[in-house]
Amino acid sequence: MSTLALGSAGTTEPVGPAKRRLSPWQKWGLILVTPYVVVFAVFVLFPVGYGLWLARHPSSYVRLADDPVFTRTVFNTLFFLVVGINLKMAVALFLSGFFVRTRWWIKALSLLFILPWAVPSIPTILSIRFMLNPEWGIVNSTIFRLTGADGPNWLNNPQLALSLAILVHIWKSLPFWTLILVAGRMAIPGEMYEAASVDGATTWQKFRFITWPSLRTLYLTSSILSMIWTLGDFNSVYLLTGGQPADQTHVLATLGLRYLRLDQVDLSMATVVCALPLIIPLVWFMMKRLSR
Amino acid sequence: MSAWTLRKVSGEAKLLLIGIPVAIWTLLPIYHLVLFALSPREQAVSGKLWPDHPTLHNFSMVFHEQHHYLSHFWLQLWNSLLIAVAVGAITLFVATSAAFAISRLRVRGGRAIMNLALFTYFIPAAFLAVPMYKTMSSYGLLNSQWSLILAMVTIATPYSIWVLKQASDKLPLELDEAARIDGASPLQLFRLVYLPLMTPSLVAVGTYALLLAWNEYLYAFLLLSDDRSTTLGVALGSFLSADDSPWELLMATGLLYALPPAAIYYAFKRYMVSGLTAGAVKS
Amino acid sequence: MASVLFRNVEKTFGGTKVIHGISFDIADGEFTVLVGPSGCGKSTLLRMLAGLEEISGGTIAIDGQVVNDVESKDRDIAMVFQSYALYPHMTVADNMGFSLKLRKADAKLTADRVAHAAKILNLGPYLERFPRELSGGQRQRVAMGRAIVRDPKVFLFDEPLSNLDAKLRVAMRAEIKALHQRLKTTTVYVTHDQVEAMTMADRIVVMHDGRIEQIGTPLELYDRPNNLFVAQFIGSPAMNIVHGTLRRSADAAWVEAEGGARWPLPASVSASDGQAVAYGVRPGSLALGGGAAAVPAEVIVVEPTGAETELLVRVGATQIVVVMHGRTDTGPGETIALDVDQASVLVFDPATGAAIRT
Repeated sequence: MSTLALGSAGTTEPVGPAKRRLSPWQKWGLILVTPYVVVFAVFVLFPVGYGLWLARHPSSYVRLADDPVFTRTVFNTLFFLVVGINLKMAVALFLSGFFVRTRWWIKALSLLFILPWAVPSIPTILSIRFMLNPEWGIVNSTIFRLTGADGPNWLNNPQLALSLAILVHIWKSLPFWTLILVAGRMAIPGEMYEAASVDGATTWQKFRFITWPSLRTLYLTSSILSMIWTLGDFNSVYLLTGGQPADQTHVLATLGLRYLRLDQVDLSMATVVCALPLIIPLVWFMMKRLSR
Repeated sequence: MSAWTLRKVSGEAKLLLIGIPVAIWTLLPIYHLVLFALSPREQAVSGKLWPDHPTLHNFSMVFHEQHHYLSHFWLQLWNSLLIAVAVGAITLFVATSAAFAISRLRVRGGRAIMNLALFTYFIPAAFLAVPMYKTMSSYGLLNSQWSLILAMVTIATPYSIWVLKQASDKLPLELDEAARIDGASPLQLFRLVYLPLMTPSLVAVGTYALLLAWNEYLYAFLLLSDDRSTTLGVALGSFLSADDSPWELLMATGLLYALPPAAIYYAFKRYMVSGLTAGAVKS
Repeated sequence: MASVLFRNVEKTFGGTKVIHGISFDIADGEFTVLVGPSGCGKSTLLRMLAGLEEISGGTIAIDGQVVNDVESKDRDIAMVFQSYALYPHMTVADNMGFSLKLRKADAKLTADRVAHAAKILNLGPYLERFPRELSGGQRQRVAMGRAIVRDPKVFLFDEPLSNLDAKLRVAMRAEIKALHQRLKTTTVYVTHDQVEAMTMADRIVVMHDGRIEQIGTPLELYDRPNNLFVAQFIGSPAMNIVHGTLRRSADAAWVEAEGGARWPLPASVSASDGQAVAYGVRPGSLALGGGAAAVPAEVIVVEPTGAETELLVRVGATQIVVVMHGRTDTGPGETIALDVDQASVLVFDPATGAAIRT
């Protein structure tokens, strides 16, 4: 019975402690990650640091608080967020159920549906702006043709204008979130619905007991992420109303630019800092979800 | 009609009841864009739903730069293209290298870098705009196209790294091991095994960065104020500075500006949808 | 062609030591199988030999040269992975020739070597296909072809047959063995399947919890296992183990199990009367009979497999497996008597598991 064949020694002296040199694999790892680290340091870290430094004076915040435009903007932003997100996500949820179907014309429609998101904002939002022109825009012209009355001056009324900005935002971002939720729906095994049909479930019951539990997490995560991006939606407000009339329709994203134009960079930065208490918790939440 | 057929028809009708409003809602602004672009001046502002005499004259005016807002049309179009392609290429380079280092080479601190990237991705770019403007100013890059290119690369890279890392993680580690045993150096592994297998994701990321740069307004507007160096998108915005600008020319230019992204999106739709939504749905 | 020497090899993951001081030799040209249950460390040991894992302690030497700090590609080894690890975007020919391409070898040399390997493995018609177009067995062969083209000093196999269906596994076992006989390259083969180990190895290294339980030729391990673990691991169906007390009389010895059953033993066994022992008898060492020392049993299940018949019987409270040649008329519920081939019986210390000489 042979166990250990203690063979020829001599040529197998043990080596000392492992050398500290980097293997080529570790070396290249560091080299290849450097471009991004440099980009980050130079174009994220520095600007952020610089911005925070510019916003360091407590007096900036006092001046902000005293500026009625600022308080109005905060209110607008919150309104924009609450209404915009909930409306958009609810519609996305609803439409995702529509777009999962396999009819040919629904598939064709889904191809067109993505256009608002894929196409640049400037031409399309300006197009909407012109549609709303009180004198010659097609909206008011059509209203006049149908009822003989003059349509409202859409963009001159602060409440209307803000609401329209929300609609523009929804128009632009709805396709993306609908797509996400469609993907979420496709991940639900079809057999569950078949089993439910056999068990006698109605459409609503199927949604409540199968679809919603599976989609719930995705819906929540999407809503949070959407909140962050809606906070940063500059184009919808700027291109539609420019913050007007009388700076009444600004949101935090566009306000920074206003102060910049007024040569008040410190206030511009302070505005951003004020947005942070809203943004950081949301970002923290998303990080926890996605960094695995 | 049998009960089943009746149900089928009413089901279909319900779907149409949803589909038609969705179609109108989606296409109306775009239709309006086209409407204006094809209308002569007087017709455009007449509030008609279709011009009596649709014309391509507006496009001709754009192509011949026959208005003072359009005097640099071709140059600005070229700028947009150049910047978009540069952003796409550089983002691809930076993101692919980083994703490879983090996912395959398991570089130390890779997790931290991934988290930093994710963090940057979540912060809305609009809030970074003014600091970026001041920073570029202090780097002396204002009005150089590099400022916009580098800014957009900074914005596009985090999400790109994340998408590439997710895709990269799906490749079995044993491929790398087999290559190592076959004698591959890190660069050979990158070039001969990794890149070919990552091609669909690379296309998705490159397209994403390119479209992001082409569609960008705020940063372009802040960083490039000179008419000669700025992008077509910013030039469109300049029409708004007067009340009697030729809106039909604006819309015609806008249509031209909107066509490439739509075309590119449809061309690469396969890569875009799977590449970009897979990462999101994973959450 | 090379020897492989392991000297006090250790591996620690995080704070946990998973390989404890392993030392053994593999001679030039030998086909050595590392076998053991999941988690025993066999794959880790192989990967350390391949250079895919760092060696925490001790040394490994290939062909007389210590390779602890040598990169995988410089160790002159080739590896066949469980999942084949073929490059999906390359043809079969490119997959096999990849290592030569990396070294910027002559195109003709590469083509020749690839053709040669393809001929040995019957891959000629598939050279321009892609891995996704091949079956599992074909992919397996391409992986082997890739290793052959390297012409290395040592072949490493990491559970290469686990992903194949049973029939294919049997066929591939023979092919791998034939390949080894032809090329005579030192081979280290890892598997959890003891049948593969028994049929293919020149020598088997049985591992358990990061340690070597026993090294030997297949038949050595089968006939003379050092301990309970090896005895029960090697051989299929597994060895029957009965716990009981050794009893002696003037000229005989037996093991008395609970329920009173008496299991016969050669009197030369080195154990004393009253000692607690574990009695091991292989299913093939039992036969239906009725001799003087036969053990009565009750039949539970009869499983005819064609040439043989497997019976599950009960002796006392213990279930015993019997494998006999041919057919039988016995049915469930019947009482039979088992004749034991005493020469092949093994006895173990139940506390330590160590074998007791018989």
